Parts: sequence; structure tokens; C-alpha cells
Amino acid sequence: MGLNMIVAVKWVPNTQIVNIDPTTGTLIREGIPSIVNPHDLNAVELALRLKEKYGGTVTAISMAPPAARAGLEFIMGMGVDRAILITDKVFAGADTLATSYTLAKAIEKLKPYDLLIFGHETIDSSTAHIGAQVASWLKIPYIYYVIDTEYRDGYIFAKRRLEKKIEIYKLPIPCLIAVAMRSNEPRPIKLEYKLRVKLENPLEVWTNNELQLSRACIGLRGSPTRVEKAVPTPTIPRKKMKYEGQDVKEAVKWLVDKLLEEGLKII
Amino acid sequence: MLNIVGKFDVVVVGAGPAGSSAAYTLSKNGFKVVVIERGRTAGSKNLYGGRVYSKPLEEIYPEFKREAPIERWVKRERFSMMVGGELLTLEYYSRNSTSFTAYLSRLAGWMAQKAEEAGAIIVTDVRVDDLYTEDGIVKGIVSGGDVLKADVVVDAEGVNRLILERHGLVPKLLPRQVALGVKETIRLDKQKIEDRFGLLPEEGLAWFIIGNVTGGLPGGAFLYTNTTTVSLGMVVFLEEACKKVQKHVFDILEDLRTSQPFSDILKDGVLVEYGAHLTPEAGLDMAPKKLYTDGLLVVGDAAGFLLNLGYTVRGVDFAAYSGYLAAKTIIKAHSEGNFKAENLSVYQKLLEESFIIRELRRHRKIAKLLRSSELFTTYPEIFVDVARKLFNIEYTSPTLLQSIRESIKGKTSLLSLIVKMLSLVRAL
Repeated sequence: MGLNMIVAVKWVPNTQIVNIDPTTGTLIREGIPSIVNPHDLNAVELALRLKEKYGGTVTAISMAPPAARAGLEFIMGMGVDRAILITDKVFAGADTLATSYTLAKAIEKLKPYDLLIFGHETIDSSTAHIGAQVASWLKIPYIYYVIDTEYRDGYIFAKRRLEKKIEIYKLPIPCLIAVAMRSNEPRPIKLEYKLRVKLENPLEVWTNNELQLSRACIGLRGSPTRVEKAVPTPTIPRKKMKYEGQDVKEAVKWLVDKLLEEGLKII
Repeated sequence: MLNIVGKFDVVVVGAGPAGSSAAYTLSKNGFKVVVIERGRTAGSKNLYGGRVYSKPLEEIYPEFKREAPIERWVKRERFSMMVGGELLTLEYYSRNSTSFTAYLSRLAGWMAQKAEEAGAIIVTDVRVDDLYTEDGIVKGIVSGGDVLKADVVVDAEGVNRLILERHGLVPKLLPRQVALGVKETIRLDKQKIEDRFGLLPEEGLAWFIIGNVTGGLPGGAFLYTNTTTVSLGMVVFLEEACKKVQKHVFDILEDLRTSQPFSDILKDGVLVEYGAHLTPEAGLDMAPKKLYTDGLLVVGDAAGFLLNLGYTVRGVDFAAYSGYLAAKTIIKAHSEGNFKAENLSVYQKLLEESFIIRELRRHRKIAKLLRSSELFTTYPEIFVDVARKLFNIEYTSPTLLQSIRESIKGKTSLLSLIVKMLSLVRAL
């Protein structure tokens, strides 16, 4: 039978090299190359492993501007069967509510599905909302921080690691799992898959013509979230001080003294 | 082992200036070309100082001057010896210019885009592991167990030429064959750049600095102006650097940026990017014994095509032009019906006739001279000292000869200084 899986991926600015606009406090995205949200690569990897073990299909979806095509091509290079880019000006400016609604409606069109796999958060906003909200719209169970999954007797057994124990949850299909960061090693891009993407252009693009969603529920209009204020944190220049001695106790004392000079308070 | 969809005439390994120029030229002439690039985008793994010589690129890309992502045309050339915060500078200004500054990732991206528009397929994010051979003849590449066959392969893998090493076509790269380049990109107001460096809009500066700028390591520093950023960096010869290095090279570079006069020149600048890359320094002495074998051509940095003259560096134009010549070779070999070494040998001939090998040969001696530590420490000290004596006048001033004699005391003899200077002038 196998598992029909859908993985959601987000196209995000590479926050490792992104700068904050000191006056508006927002990310300066101009000229910053985007990448696939790293957590989502763990989700894709888990889906591909489950497919290898149990058979089935993996479909990747992303709601993003057209430039995200490159991100979905990357995912197809990992080996997913199908990729859909949901893109339309009317989806722009969406918060997590409008985004999860749009994704849920798109996923409904992909029925029947057994398992939705999401990264548990994104590096550009870190809300960790989307998986839970999509599952809620679809009225299916969900679980976060999953590190591995098995599929037996029509149930998903989702393993998640807590600080001192590993929990295993049994969920009926269809359900949604949100994958913990770095829970696996995403596979490299395969030449054959990436070349096929280039030669056959299999990426599907859906606009609101396909989804027919009410404007009140999508994009900026469907988004109640407002950012009240953003305050940039000051950058601290490197002091380039180095303890040159050998004595560990001395070194600790030196370090504490330096930190106290910087305004550190010991309570 | 999988066999791959599609059939290509040529596989190019690497979408830098050399690979993309080969792909562009071949595609324009009707060849089916695939370029395989390890980086996320074409050009994403490229890094250089900051300046490109234009003429060879204009020959390859007819619309180059109009379309390429050029930042500023270099009209001000500076060469300085620096000791402490003191500088002795030679400057050349001309309203004509044969070179420009650019972000290499963007320039290489543009070249790849031209290749793509001409019909080449560019596959990113994929590493090529090996060449695929049949009876010793290169017939494609291997990547992650996949074999992609082609009539001929162009190796544009860059300075870290692991594929050529794996195939025994070159020995392992030696520290003395390469230098380490480190560079910071500092965002600065367009107007401030033009005011501080004496530039008109769209005019650029290229500045080479030797002396105690590299923390005592043989090498030098450079500064280039882009439209709204300045690139400040340094190049250190790796063999000497390995032995003498006391701290991280990026710390040495930061020391330079935060010391006089650069702390003033770059005031209010914001560090937006930094990077490092190896650069080939041995020219012909590190080229593969043969730049072609049955079914294979080697271009760009992988072939050692870079010229460091001490007052300027040429790499991008050499790389792109070698890719262009490789393409011409393939076009010719195709018309002769096969890609055996004897048909590809015309590549060597084209290179010898071109500026690439002629330039590398002409300046062959310079590489050795450039790494003599006297050049980087003793002589700048002497010359800056002389300049100080001549220009810092309070009541009396010495004659030039007097000040030279005084400044070289204990460091070298006048005769050896003259001999060394002459040999340098002759090598240049």
C-alpha cells in the first residue's frame, strides 16, 4: 500500500548572512540569497526514508513567491516524486493563520494522503505554528519534535526525544508530524534527479485560480497578526582579548573580571 | 550505476568563469552542453580580490560591456609600501580604463546565465566525484554513483582540483603553489567612497599594498572600490604562512582594517561579507603536464592560469579565455570527427598563441621574486624611512643618497639593494 506523504517546505532568506535594518528593525532581504528552510530538509529526508521502507509517494509543496522554484527544484533533486509551488500575488503578506489556511486547502486537493511531514519551525520566523495550524484546519492529529517514525497496522508510531526519555506516540492516519531539527542527515542532491528537473520541468504551479480561496482568508487581508515594534539588538564589536597564561583558575578569574568590567552582574 | 536521461556532447565541471565561458561558446555553436556545479548557484563558490580585465571578456561575450554586472571602471591605480601608518605611494590615473571592479559571484552568475540562454543546462548543488573513462578515454563524469556520458569533458573545477588529482593528471597541490586570499567587503556610502578615494561616479580604484600589512607573512594587501562597497583583503603565500603564522589570517586582516590609515578611510563602513579562497600562484609550474588528454580539457584555475604580478592580479580573464579556447578546440575536433588527444592538442597551440601562456611565460620569474621576504619587509622599511627623511623636514633635510645610505644601514648594502631592484625591474 505504502504511504502517501506530503512535505511542506519554506523558502527563507539565509538568516546566517542576513542583516537587520537598524531603523525599521526588519530583516534586510534585498540581495540575500534564499535557501530551503533547513528544518524542512530533515522533513524531506524522513519522508524519503519512509518511502524507501514502506513504499508510497512524496509530494513537496511550498507557498512562496516564484523565486522559490529554485528551492523546490533542490527538493526534487533529493528525490521527491512531485513538487507544487503555490504562488499568487493574492497570497502575499500572509501570517501563519493565512499561510496555514492556504496550505491546508491545497493539501485537501491532494487527497488521499496518509502523512503530512513538516519541519517543526523556520529559521526566519521560528513560530512553529504552521504544522499545528494546518493539522487543525484539516482536523487531523499532529505531534511535534519527531525524530523518527514507523508505520505499522495502519498507524504511525512517532518517536520523539525529550530531555531524559524517548516517547513513542501512536497516531491514526492521516496525521501530521513536525520533525525535530537535525534529527537526520539530509541526503545530497542526486545528479540524475536534478538533471531531470532541468530537462523535464516537472514543477507544478498553482495559483488561486486552482484553489479558489476567499480573499478574506488569505494574504494580508486574511492575516490578523501585526508586528507592534521591532527593536534591534546592538552588535557588540570583537574585543580581541586573549588570556595568554596556562593556569585554568587564573583564566576563569580573568574571564569573570573582564565580564564584570563589561557590566555582567553576579546575583 | 545509473545511466542518465539525455545525451550531451560536452560535460563541463564547474560553473565559474572558465566553465561558463566554455559552455556559452559551445552552446552558441549548437553543442548540447551540461554544466555541473557544486555550489548553490553558479558563481557561489567563486571568490577573488575584486578586479577583472575587460578585453578578453569582450571578445567572448559581444554584449559584455553593455550587460555585465560591472561596478566601477578602474581609473586610479595605486601601489603603496606601508610601515606602521606611513605610506609611500605611487599612483597612476587615467581617464581610460581596461579593467573594472565587480562581484565575482554576480559576474560568474551572469556568465552562467548567458550560457543558459544560449542553451546550456546548468545543474547546481551537485558534486562531480570522478571522470568516467572507457579504455582510458574520458567519456563522461561520475557523480554519486550516476554516470553522465558525453563526448568530451571540460574540467573547470577550480584551484582545488581533486578530480585531476584523483586521476593522476596532477600531483597533490603543494603549499608553495598556492596562496591564501582573505577578503572583507565593507559597505560604505557611494558618495563617501568617491570623496575619500578621489573618484568620479563610476570610477574605481585598485590599490596594492606591501609592507607590514600581512603580519610579517610574505604577501600583500589589496583594496578595490565597488559602487557602494569596498573590498579589503590580503593574499599570503601559503608555504611561508604555514611556517610563520602566529594568529588567524582573518585577525591579521581585521588588524589592518582597524589600524591607520584604513580605520579612517573606511570610517562608518559596515562589514557585510567576508570570505577566503586559495589562489594558484605557480602559473605554468603547476599546470598539468598536459592540458588535454583523450576526451578531456583543463581550463581556468585548475590549469593554474593565474598571474600575480605583485602590482596586479589577472585570473578571471585568463580563466574565461581558456574556457573560450577549450570551446574552440572542441568545435574544431568535432568537425574532425573525434575527441582523442591528438585532435584536442590544438588547445595547447591556441593557448600558446594567446596572451595566456605568453603572459605566464613572460612573467615566469616574478613568482619566485614575489615571495622573497626582503621585498615584503626590508625594502618597504627602507623606502618608507627614506621618504620620511626626505619629506618630514623640520630645519634641515638630507640629500636623497644620504638618506638612502642612512636607511639601509644594518639592513643591506647599497649594491645589493640596486641589484635586487634591477632584478625585480627585469622580471616585471
